[in-house]
Parts: sequence; C-alpha cells; structure tokens
Amino acid sequence: MYDEIIVGQGLTGLLTAIWSREEGKQVALVSTGLGKIFQSAGVLDILPGEDSRFADLMEKYKLNTCSRLTIYEAAKKYFQLTERIGYPYQGNIEAPITIITGSGNLKETAFYPDTIKPIPEQGHVVIVGFEEVVDFLPKYVKGNLQKSRPSLHVDTMTVSLGKGSSRTMSQLDAAHLLDQEKVCQHVLDQIKIKMAAKKIAKPELFIFPAALGFNKWRKVLEQATIQLQAAITEAPGMPPNATAIRLHDKLKKEAIKLGVRFYENTTIIGAKIEDNKVQAVITSANLEIKSESYIIAAGGMLGGGIEKTATGYKDKVLGLDLDHHGCYMSCPENVWLVGASNGMNVTQYGITGGVYSILSCYQTFTARKQHMKLGGLQHAKL
Amino acid sequence: MQNYNFLDRSFDACLKCHACTATCPVSNVSLEFGGPKHLGPELKRLTDNQQVIDDKRIELCTLCGNCDISCPENVHVSTLTAYAKAIHADIEGTKLRDHVLSNAELVGVAASAFAPITNAAMTMKPVRQVMQIVLGIPAERKFPQYRFNNFKRKYRKTTSETKRKVAYFVGCYATYNAPEVADSFVEVMKHNGIEVAVPKQKCCGVPMFANGKMEQGLKNAKYNIESLLEYTRQGYDIVLTCTSCTFAFKKEYINYLQSADAHELAKHVYDADEYLRMLKEAGEFNSNLAPMNDKAGYYAPCHMKGQGIGNPAMDILGLIPGYEIQDVAAGCCGQCGTFGFKEEKYEISMKIGKSMSEAIADADADYTVTECGMCRNQLEQLTTKNVKHPMQVLAQSYVKNLEESVHASPK
Ligand SMILES: Cc1cc2nc3c(=O)[nH]c(=O)nc-3n(C[C@H](O)[C@H](O)[C@H](O)COP(=O)(O)OP(=O)(O)OC[C@H]3O[C@@H](n4cnc5c(N)ncnc54)[C@H](O)[C@@H]3O)c2cc1C
Ligand code: SF4
Ligand code: SF4
Ligand code: SF4
Repeated sequence: MYDEIIVGQGLTGLLTAIWSREEGKQVALVSTGLGKIFQSAGVLDILPGEDSRFADLMEKYKLNTCSRLTIYEAAKKYFQLTERIGYPYQGNIEAPITIITGSGNLKETAFYPDTIKPIPEQGHVVIVGFEEVVDFLPKYVKGNLQKSRPSLHVDTMTVSLGKGSSRTMSQLDAAHLLDQEKVCQHVLDQIKIKMAAKKIAKPELFIFPAALGFNKWRKVLEQATIQLQAAITEAPGMPPNATAIRLHDKLKKEAIKLGVRFYENTTIIGAKIEDNKVQAVITSANLEIKSESYIIAAGGMLGGGIEKTATGYKDKVLGLDLDHHGCYMSCPENVWLVGASNGMNVTQYGITGGVYSILSCYQTFTARKQHMKLGGLQHAKL
Repeated sequence: MQNYNFLDRSFDACLKCHACTATCPVSNVSLEFGGPKHLGPELKRLTDNQQVIDDKRIELCTLCGNCDISCPENVHVSTLTAYAKAIHADIEGTKLRDHVLSNAELVGVAASAFAPITNAAMTMKPVRQVMQIVLGIPAERKFPQYRFNNFKRKYRKTTSETKRKVAYFVGCYATYNAPEVADSFVEVMKHNGIEVAVPKQKCCGVPMFANGKMEQGLKNAKYNIESLLEYTRQGYDIVLTCTSCTFAFKKEYINYLQSADAHELAKHVYDADEYLRMLKEAGEFNSNLAPMNDKAGYYAPCHMKGQGIGNPAMDILGLIPGYEIQDVAAGCCGQCGTFGFKEEKYEISMKIGKSMSEAIADADADYTVTECGMCRNQLEQLTTKNVKHPMQVLAQSYVKNLEESVHASPK
C-alpha cells in the first residue's frame, strides 16, 4: 500500500521521509519513540566526541572520494529544508566552528542553527544563567571555558525568569517562558541593570543556556541582539536542549503536513520475507504494513535497531542475521539502510554524528532515485 | 482502591531522557505539573512495593498518552500516571463535579431525556454561573449538545446477518451528543454491504480513568470485554467511531487489566476508518464515491496517534474524487475529555489549545475533520471552522453518488 516504509523517527528517519515525500512517494514512518536528536545538542558533528575534519570521517568510515562532493549537495539540501521550515542551519564541512557547551567545554561542530555562534579566541564574553535552571551554572561554565581560552575576558551573571516551578526547570521550560514577551523583556532588563552595576561595557558575545525561546526563538534572538548590542549564542548542555527540540518539532510537523503517515507508539517486531524481498512488516499492535521498499533508519545499537547479545549482534527490526560488524549478512533487495543501521563500522562509541546522518540519508536518497531510473535492477549499497 | 502495587516493571527501562516531559502538552504550558518522567517512572520506582506517595500535582495529567508516543524505551508512562491519579483520587477523595464529569454515560441518559431543556439551560448565563460556583465548571466553556432522539433509542439491532459482521461500540458521545455520527457510520457500512449490530455496552471508562476513578473504570472495562467477546467469538469485528474509546480497548484495558481476555478482544478492535482501509486492502471496499470539491483540514486526536495505525481517516477520505485533505500538524487540543471542563484547569486547557487553533487558522480549510467528540468541542470553541466526523463526510459522498446514479439512469 505504501511506496516506502521508514523505520525510525530520528534525524535520518525524518529527513528520509520528507525527501521521499517531496518526490511524490507514499510514505509511512514507524517508530518507538522519538530518536536521539531529542537528547542531542542540536548541532551536527562530524565525528561525535572528537574534533575532526571531513577527511577524518572519510578515513574512518572508508568513504569514497565521491562522498566529499556528495556532502556539499547533501548539506545544501538540508540547509534549504531547514530554511523552509523556519529553523535554518548553516556551516562548512571543511571549516567547522568551535562552540561552547553547557559545561563550558569547547567542541567543534559542522552544521548549526542561527542561535549558535563560534567562541572567539580573545575579547570579552558574558555568561548568563537563570536562577531557576540549575543545570547551567555560569561560574562553573566560566571555569571550564578559561581552561581552553585563557586570554578571553569572561564575566558571569545570573538572572531570574520570574516564574516558580513545581518541577526542576529544564532549558526547554525556560525556552517556553522566554517565548512570552514579558518574560523575555524582564530577563533583558535585569541583564542591563547588572551590566551597569558591574561596569560591563560592550562585550562581544553573550552566552546563554540552550533556552532562547521555542516557537519564537527568532524574536528572542533578535531582541537580545539589539538590546544587548552584542552577538548571542546558546550553549547546549543537559537535555532537553531547545536547539535540538526545535529541529525535531519542525521536521516532524513538516513531515506530517506533507502527508507522511506516522505509526507511533508501536514497534516493528518482524517481517514477512519471500524471494529475498520484504513483503510486509509486523508491528507490536499486530498490524501488517505493506510497502514496495523499506528503509531502516533505526539508529543501530543506540537507536534500538540493533542489539548486542552474548553471541553477537541481533537485528531487532527485521530479525535478519548480522555479521560481527552488525551488518546484514544478506540484505533483502527492497531494503535500504541509513545512518547507524549500516553497522558498527559507521559508529563511534555506538553513535554516528549528525553530518554522517545527513550524508547517509542523501546517499540513499540519490541511490534510490538512480535505482528507480534503472527500473529496479541492482542497487548500490552504501 | 484495589491494588496500589500494580504490576508494571516498564519503569526499569527509563533512561531519564526527558522526551516524555518535553512533549507533554501540559508540561509545555504549565510549571505546576510535575511532568511524566517524574510522576510516571520515577514515582513508581520510588514507591514500587513500598508505601504509596500521594502527589497532588498528578491532577493535571490528562492521560492524553503523548508521553508514551515519545518514549524510546517503551515505558508505559501514562499507565503509571493513571495509577498515580487513582491513588490521588482515592486518598484525596473525588469532587462532586468530577463524579458528574466522569459519568459521561449517566449524564448522557439524564441530559438527553430532557434534551431541549438541557441544551437551552447550558447556554443560559445564570445557569452557567451557578454551575461555576457549585460545580467548578467555567461559565465560558462550551458544552456539547444533548439529543432527545439519541442513538440508543432509535437503533436496536443486536445481531448482523451479513457476511462480514460488525459489532459497533458507539460510545457516549455518538450515543447522546452526536447521533448523526453513529447514523453516518451505519450508513457507510450499509454501502459496504455490512449490517451493523450494537451489543450491550457501558461507557468505555476513559473519563473515569482520567478522573482517577480506576475501580469504576475497570468495572466498565470488564463488562465491555465480556459483552464484546461474545460477539468476536462468533466472528464479529468490533468497530468504533470514537478514537478515545478505541484507544481504551486497544491499549488501556490491556495495560490496566493485563488479562488474557483484554488481549483477545484487542485483536478484533478497529477504528472505523482503519476498518474501511482494511476492507480496501482486501478488495471489498465500495469506492462508488461521488466527487466532493471540499478542502478539509484534518485534526489528529492524541488517542488516534497513540494507536500506531498511521492516518486511516486521511487514507479513506483521500479516496473521494476531488476531495482535498491535509493534516494540520497540530498538537494536543487541550480539551482532553473532561479536563477542559474544569475551572482550575481551564486556563491550561486554553493555553494548550492556542497552538492548535493557530494551526487550524494557518491551514485555512473549508472545515475541520476529526474523530474525537471532545476535540470537536474544543475546535468549536477556539476556531471559526465547522467540524465533521470522517463518517459524516463519507456518508455524504456515498449518498450523493446514489442520488446521482438514480438521476442518471433512465426510468
Ligand atoms: C545523548 C546523545 C547526544 C548526542 N548529541 C549529538 C550531537 O550533539 N551532535 C551530533 O552530531 N550527534 C549527536 N548524537 C548522535 C546522534 O545519535 C546522531 O546524530 C543521529 O541523531 C542519529 O540519528 P538516527 O536517525 O540514525 O537514529 P536515532 O535517532 O537513534 O533514531 C532511531 C529511531 O528508530 C526507532 N526504532 C528502532 N528500532 C525500532 C523498531 N524495531 N521499530 C520501530 N522503531 C524503531 C527508534 O525508536 C528511533 O525513533 C548524540 C547521541 C546521543 C545518544
Ligand atoms: S498522559 Fe499526557 S498529560 Fe499525562 S503525563 Fe503523559 S503526556 Fe502529560
Ligand atoms: S521518555 Fe521514556 S525513557 Fe525518557 S524519561 Fe520519559 S519514561 Fe524515561
Ligand atoms: S471515550 Fe467514548 S465511551 Fe468514553 S466517554 Fe468518550 S465517547 Fe463515551
């Protein structure tokens, strides 16, 4: 009944769904919960957990030279999409920027939203925390920042959002509050008063937790930039980070509006396979869903698509045999793999970075287009 | 209350990832609420096989189930919050108003008996002011209408003689407030050659669970399971037009009761559009539908999303020639069954509803289509568009086609 069933609602699942739908395909997306973007910083790294260049990714993942060109096309397509849905990303794969995290440590990242700015080598920055958000402590952030940026002049301050809470307030809660004009102005006023009291004049950059508005992030960012007369950045830390949740929210809404059918709150527990082709997948709700092709965007080991057992790796989606790298021994001809579903070779500490997610989606997308043109003959596996 | 130490170990899998709280419609607009992560798995871990803890903040949970949809680890978050609600209601006691609201069925019987009076009274300012003072139901809140000629009064078939047999669980809303939905369903089934039987049934229990009246809700659940299993064991399929009732049959009965009977019944339960989609796949769907040049916005109820069935209403309505329908991609409506009728929750209900009404306005369709009667109430309060059930649209198209073919054929 569908042209395509996508398993997974992470970055790869949502991107694949949107891009396929734009090609006019009938698309269903099946998922148990939201993917890992939800826990991420909302910035897309090359190799997760370490500073790296695209050449490192190519070497580590044994990518061919075409990939270098492909990543530019992939990034362009991703930037266009994020622009259209009102949360634009930017960045250059050959020149990652150094950003600050919620703990004050620095990391390099390739693609980032408008609310993220690079950390300068020198000059003057102000770190602003919220009394109510205990995950982000300006003094602690400053301590770590100065270890890697000793020549940077750093001031800190803590202001109040002016709202009580019956639960530990997260960065996302703060973002929802800052969507309210009154709260936002109240925060900016306090900062100005504290700047005057501390005699802080003309800093280059203000650092906030990843909480600068949710739906109204653009307005919050604009107001802060104008009124504080400096660049503004978010420093993503403990989840939930507004940087990441905005991305998920907007991608998902776009997919729904485009008519992707979401089968949520359910898990694929097996498949009917005949003649080396998947005929249908079976969900935990006892539903059989049929499609021409199946795209596994189940996030590998961390996403829940692959499980490590005493005897090796186990495929939790289709129930097929995996080798000692977590790759399919023999992949049915109408199945395509994206992201960490490609096995352990493409993961680092169990995860893939956001850059690889985008590259992998795009490669599958173009390979499938090619495959259609060739009339369904052999398809190149990644 | 029966068993505080109900068996559900799903909390063990909780990663504390916050996905549930970050997508909880109530948490997103209110800091008064403890949130699903805290009041679900964390509270259960703290109290499992221990002294119970009554946390008043649980009152704000609507049992919409968005937490379950978001959880990557399959924690039964809303089952845990449902029990926390039951514990709270048991210890704190239930307000008169919540007794009234949770008894959708009793109210339905009484209100529809005096329907013209009830409806008139519900729009009268002094009556509503008294209701606010005595019952805590806000005066500005719209109420669904009650019908004297309710579905129960006029449809009395309890068996089906056709090849495919459908046993219809009508639900309170289509029985007392919107019999036109039930009529349309019967009509649609007729066009597909299926006679509809209506078995003995009680309210699905959703409003009871939502008000912490677990014991009473489970009593209804057991009654329905017993009554409907008699049908499924004779080859009937159970079909419903209310997505909250369907959700209860498919998920809540199983999670709360954990009985073999609940599991057996769930295998035969279908949402009406889902059933038609199944007929379509089996090649049995009547696609003699008259064209309709409408542009509709679809509003997906939370309890539809939670069933993991895709979007059957759009699949089916999309078969009508010329019919344009788009999911407006809105979140929870904020009515949440009985929740939005309560004075102290009214503000939260309106805040949640705001983004829904913006999505409806953005889509700018001719009217809105949704399955849930409670969502319809909120849609009617917060938007300017009319609201229809998918069965009403489909019945209209079938009837129109019939009329046109009668005209076309020579006498
Ligand atoms: C805590 C954390 C922080 C991170 N931070 C960053 C960061 O800042 N920058 C960065 O670049 N990367 C980060 N990553 C890496 C991140 O995992 C990837 O960038 C990317 O988001 C992975 O996306 P994915 O779509 O491949 O898989 P996932 O996001 O893992 O999605 C997998 C999906 O498949 C579903 N699924 C699995 N099995 C089944 C089944 N049987 N049936 C139905 N559904 C199923 C899951 O429910 C889920 O929806 C982080 C990862 C983690 C865990
Ligand atoms: S059921 Fe709904 S209101 Fe209750 S905790 Fe879950 S998401 Fe929140
Ligand atoms: S979404 Fe699931 S795993 Fe994450 S915090 Fe909530 S219950 Fe725990
Ligand atoms: S959920 Fe269904 S049975 Fe229950 S009150 Fe609503 S309409 Fe009635």
